[in-house]
Amino acid sequence: LVVPWKYGFKSIKAIIKIELVNYQPATLWMLAAPDEYGFYANVNPNVDHPRWSQATERRIGEIGRRKTLLFNGYEKEIASLYAGMDLTKDF
Amino acid sequence: LTIRNRFFDHWFPILVHIACLLPIPWLLLDAWQGNLSADPIRASIIRTGKIALVLLVLSLMCSPLNNIFGFKPALRVRRALGDYAFMYVCLHFAIFVSLDYGFNIQYISAELLRRPYALVGLVTGLLLIPLAITSFPPWPKRLGKNWKRLHSLVYVIAVLDALHFILSVKQGVAEPYLWLILVLFLLVLRIPSIRRFLSGYFTHTE
Repeated sequence: LVVPWKYGFKSIKAIIKIELVNYQPATLWMLAAPDEYGFYANVNPNVDHPRWSQATERRIGEIGRRKTLLFNGYEKEIASLYAGMDLTKDF
Repeated sequence: LTIRNRFFDHWFPILVHIACLLPIPWLLLDAWQGNLSADPIRASIIRTGKIALVLLVLSLMCSPLNNIFGFKPALRVRRALGDYAFMYVCLHFAIFVSLDYGFNIQYISAELLRRPYALVGLVTGLLLIPLAITSFPPWPKRLGKNWKRLHSLVYVIAVLDALHFILSVKQGVAEPYLWLILVLFLLVLRIPSIRRFLSGYFTHTE
C-alpha cells in the first residue's frame, strides 16, 4: 500500500480486513521496536529515526542524495491532518 | 604427505589470493546483468561490507587453526586475508561516499558523526589503516614486539565490525548477532588456558 506522504517507511504489505475502531490500534513495528517506530510513520526529515537519518534520500537510478521533503512533498495537501500535533512525539 | 605439503606450500596461498579477488568480477558481473536488486548502490555497499567482514573473520581463524589443529599453512595466508578485508572496507567506504552520497561532504559528515552505525563503521575502518600499512615489510621487523601489540587491535576491530553490522540493520534480524558470536568465539579461543587445553586435545603429537 503506497501512501505518498509515508512512502519510505514501513508500509502495509497486504490488507486482510478493515475494522473501524474507536481507539488507536498498535502497529507491527510499534510493537517490535517501540523506541524506533511510532503510529504515524510520516516521512519527516526533521525527525530522525534513532539509528538513521531521514534528512536525505537517494532516488533509485540517481547517484548522490537530495534533501527529503516534509511529508514527501505533500505538505500542502495533508499537513492539516496533523495540525497542532508534536511530530517529534507522534512520529 | 610430501604432495600434501607441496600443495599447501605452493598452491594454497595462490588459491586464497584468487578467492579473495573473485568477489570483484562477481560484483561487476552482477551489476552488469542487473542482479543487484532494485537499489544496486545499496546492494553493492552491503555486499562489499559483508565480504570485508567474512575475510576479517577468516583472518582471525588462522591463528587458532595453527595453534589448535596444527594447520600451519593458515599462517601463510593470514596477512593476505587481513589486507583483502581492508581492500573491501575501502571499496565499501568509496561506494558510500561516491555513488551513495555523491561526494556531498555536508551530508556525509552529518551521517558519519550523528549515526551510530556510521560512526562505528568509520572508527573500525580508521583503526584498520595502521594495521594494513604495517602488515608489509619492513614494519613487522622494525616494530618488533610492538608489532604484535599493535596488531592485537584487530580483536577490537572485529568486535566493532560486528557491532557496525548490528547497528545498520532493522531490529529482528538475527544474522549480525551470529557474526558477533562467531567473533567472540574466535577471541575466546585465544585465551591462553583455553588454547592450551584445546591444542593438547586436538594435536597429540605436540
